[in-house]
Amino acid sequence: MEQDLQRVGRSIHAAFPGKSRHPLRAFDQKAMDFAAHDAELKAALFRFVDVTPACRSLDDLARHLTGYLDEVDERPPPIEAAMRMSGTKPGRAALGAAAAAGVRRMAHRFIVGETPKAALRTIRHLWESGAAVSLDLLGEATVTEAEADRYAERCMDALETLSAAAPSWPEQPVLERDSLGPLPRVNLSVKVSALSPLLRPEAPAVGAADAARRMRPLLVRAKELGAHLHIDMESVDTLESTMELVIDLLGEPELSDGPSAGVVLQAYLRESPEQLARVAEWARTSGRGYPLVVRLVKGAYWDHEVVDARQHGWTPPVFEEKRESDRNFETLTRELLGAWPHVRPAIASHNLRSVAHAVAANRALGRADGDVELQVLRGLGDELAAALAEQGMRVRIYCPVGDLVAGMAYLVRRLLENTANESFLGEQQRGVPIEELLAAP
Amino acid sequence: MKSFRNEPILELRRAPARESLASALRELDERLPLEVPVLIGGDRGPADGFESTDPGAPGRVVATAGRGGEAEAAAAVEAAQRGFREWSARPAAERAQVLRRAAALLRERRLELAALQVRECAKPWPEADGDVCEAIDFLEYYALEAVELERGRPLVQVPGERNTMRYAPRGVAAVIAPWNFPLAIPCGMTAAALAAGNAAVLKPAEQSPASAGVLVQALHDAGVPRDALALVPGFGEAGAALVRDPRVHVIAFTGSSAVGLEILRASAETPQAQSHVKRVVSEMGGKNCVIVDSDADLDDVVPELVYSAFGYAGQKCSAAARALVHEAVADTLLERLGGAVQVLTVGQAESFATEVPPVIERDAQERVDRYAEQAGDAVVARVEDVPDAGWFCPPTVAADLPEDSPVVREEIFGPLLAVTRVRSVDHACEIVESLPFALTGGLFSRSPATVERVAARLPVGNLYVNRGITGAMVGRQPFGGNRRSGIGSKAGGPDYLLQFVEPRVVTENTMRHGIPVE
Repeated sequence: MEQDLQRVGRSIHAAFPGKSRHPLRAFDQKAMDFAAHDAELKAALFRFVDVTPACRSLDDLARHLTGYLDEVDERPPPIEAAMRMSGTKPGRAALGAAAAAGVRRMAHRFIVGETPKAALRTIRHLWESGAAVSLDLLGEATVTEAEADRYAERCMDALETLSAAAPSWPEQPVLERDSLGPLPRVNLSVKVSALSPLLRPEAPAVGAADAARRMRPLLVRAKELGAHLHIDMESVDTLESTMELVIDLLGEPELSDGPSAGVVLQAYLRESPEQLARVAEWARTSGRGYPLVVRLVKGAYWDHEVVDARQHGWTPPVFEEKRESDRNFETLTRELLGAWPHVRPAIASHNLRSVAHAVAANRALGRADGDVELQVLRGLGDELAAALAEQGMRVRIYCPVGDLVAGMAYLVRRLLENTANESFLGEQQRGVPIEELLAAP
Repeated sequence: MKSFRNEPILELRRAPARESLASALRELDERLPLEVPVLIGGDRGPADGFESTDPGAPGRVVATAGRGGEAEAAAAVEAAQRGFREWSARPAAERAQVLRRAAALLRERRLELAALQVRECAKPWPEADGDVCEAIDFLEYYALEAVELERGRPLVQVPGERNTMRYAPRGVAAVIAPWNFPLAIPCGMTAAALAAGNAAVLKPAEQSPASAGVLVQALHDAGVPRDALALVPGFGEAGAALVRDPRVHVIAFTGSSAVGLEILRASAETPQAQSHVKRVVSEMGGKNCVIVDSDADLDDVVPELVYSAFGYAGQKCSAAARALVHEAVADTLLERLGGAVQVLTVGQAESFATEVPPVIERDAQERVDRYAEQAGDAVVARVEDVPDAGWFCPPTVAADLPEDSPVVREEIFGPLLAVTRVRSVDHACEIVESLPFALTGGLFSRSPATVERVAARLPVGNLYVNRGITGAMVGRQPFGGNRRSGIGSKAGGPDYLLQFVEPRVVTENTMRHGIPVE
């Protein structure tokens, strides 16, 4: 299989579109390159991105920016020039305007629109180019009932809006059907933590019950509309609530014959093999009319999990070496493929090796390429998505929707990911040769 | 710090950890009420003087304790004088070893000890477990510090003389402890006294004798001579007698401002028969403010502020009593804060879902209610639905009270948070400076310049930036207040043991008839 994997990986790599596709990319890339090479500068820039929506004026923006840059010991010349600008009020206004524009541009790279309606054009465009979408609604943290209700309403609106638009999309056989049957055109990802203000790590059942109250109508409506609902996974603090909620809700008789639904498995978790066993067993015995979609990811809360554990004197729940996560990802991929047809595997990674491994392992079982879904993130995996679609694979792009304030936490997480030195994307940008990119972890 | 590491709290997000605590509580319940006698030297007194009860179910007796009075206080000090001679003669390393053994004993019983706080003080599990860990931390930390302190301090040396500076224990320490950290605080004060070589008499709060009982037992079992550590459960009369006793050298107190100031006054008297000046370590009240600037991330502010104000029903010395919020974000914050308070789970401490337990006793309930009434129309959020049985207080948020309202000036020590709009961070700092207290403070700001300016300006003992303002960790956040909140001794920090010793300098002439000895 390793040989096959290498072949698949090279052919995907060869299908990558040329760099010229996104003229703006070069500019953002410059800022991120700066960031990737200097931890202090990276922290300063990301702190600035993070505070942008809370700044009240251009002057305020400039003051924050220079406040962060001031803490950087070695400033590259362009940054030094920015510092000099901040000495005068007009200079600060200009600096603030330029910086705000930069953040907005970066945000637009990762966020497809402020509302589902505003995102429809992009979503349709992606569909036409051969990639399906899972919509994700960005939001501020949910700390009140009203905020949880509002998030649920936004989810409902997203389901309705997408379902109203989807019938007019052209037919895309690869995206609409696998060997097990039809696949919904409409696909929404929801966050349990946004559906309840009561999620408490030490009392998972309380939050799960409260979130279930708002999740149930969404599942019922998704069933009526023939849409897919995917329940995202967040940090370990909400893991038990999320698992409990999914298994309880999807087991309800009212929901036994739909909708199509899914969960997420994070390969960086040491306990992920046990989780997968539990989920697969449940999928096998639940008797639901739809196979459970399991999206396999590496996990996006690594820094949080490690720092949180270290501060408390706990063993981190995540693998601390990236290679361990990568290895586990491959193991779990094979396990997931083994759980088919009760489980529909969705492999979400920007790592060429991980993706090629999933494709090759699926082929080794004699299945069609369309029986495994490949997922990427908007703004990070666009080129990979294009390459995969070009190769006739089934691709889905995770597309966040929301305003800048709501999207900031998401944006910073993505930027962190993109600038991590050992990230696959970082390696790819540095021009690491294909042999290394495809080497076994 | 050499090799100190905080005792890890339990990972309560995992079901097995929660189950282990629930099962410890079931076992404890079968053994209630516990007996806590007066312990002086080898003698166990009777344990039938008074009762401690469960604040969530006042009919449940958690412990019966001996009631120490003047006679017991005097006898305990006398025994402690004997114990002091033996204990202070041991090298610091040996005393440290004893404290570490005591830490190990507490560690073995940590589930049971957390359960005991759930019952005796209605402390919710995460805080109860944290309290036990903090007690263990104090023992380990002061053990290390005592060894370090015994080395003395380096001095300037010139030819022909040798200068040394060392620290000697003072004598008998009276430890007068509160109920809100029923194990950690008595343990910290007692461990510091013992680590430095003093003998100690512990007078725990009348609301929580049982945790203190376990502590003294663990220290005795670990090797502290019976005479060197006495337990005198009881009320104010026992504490007052200890404070007045001319044979007491150090008084370590944590509690209310009224009592703390009275102790400072009383201990300043130096009758003829008293051959020393008393040293008082006094940690008192607070009116802790959290400043929220316009650039704060409200997603962080709301949960951190709610936990700081309402966790353990606002009964931590460090709890947030006021939020001083920039007017640009005040409306948004108030709306979100109000909503977040509405969904607080008020209930029995033993439920893992509980965030706001009952307050400690009827008096406390009445006090909090009185202040809530004074807040009147200013109340903007309140959880009306609280259990009837037990000393529950509705979590309450009041907004825009005038600066002369007692609600924004006096320590309430309950689940009542007052929010005040400010024009700027500097305006907020003026308000903080106008208060007599300076224990903890908080600042939410994402501007490095603002953080630096506020840190330089505020007089508080512990300032927390962009996080909650409770939960100080031994060795990481030495804890204690300034101004009328405390004398600045900083429990769990490198300066604390200095309160329990006296410095002695020896200067030796090393010349003999012109021959340098060295």
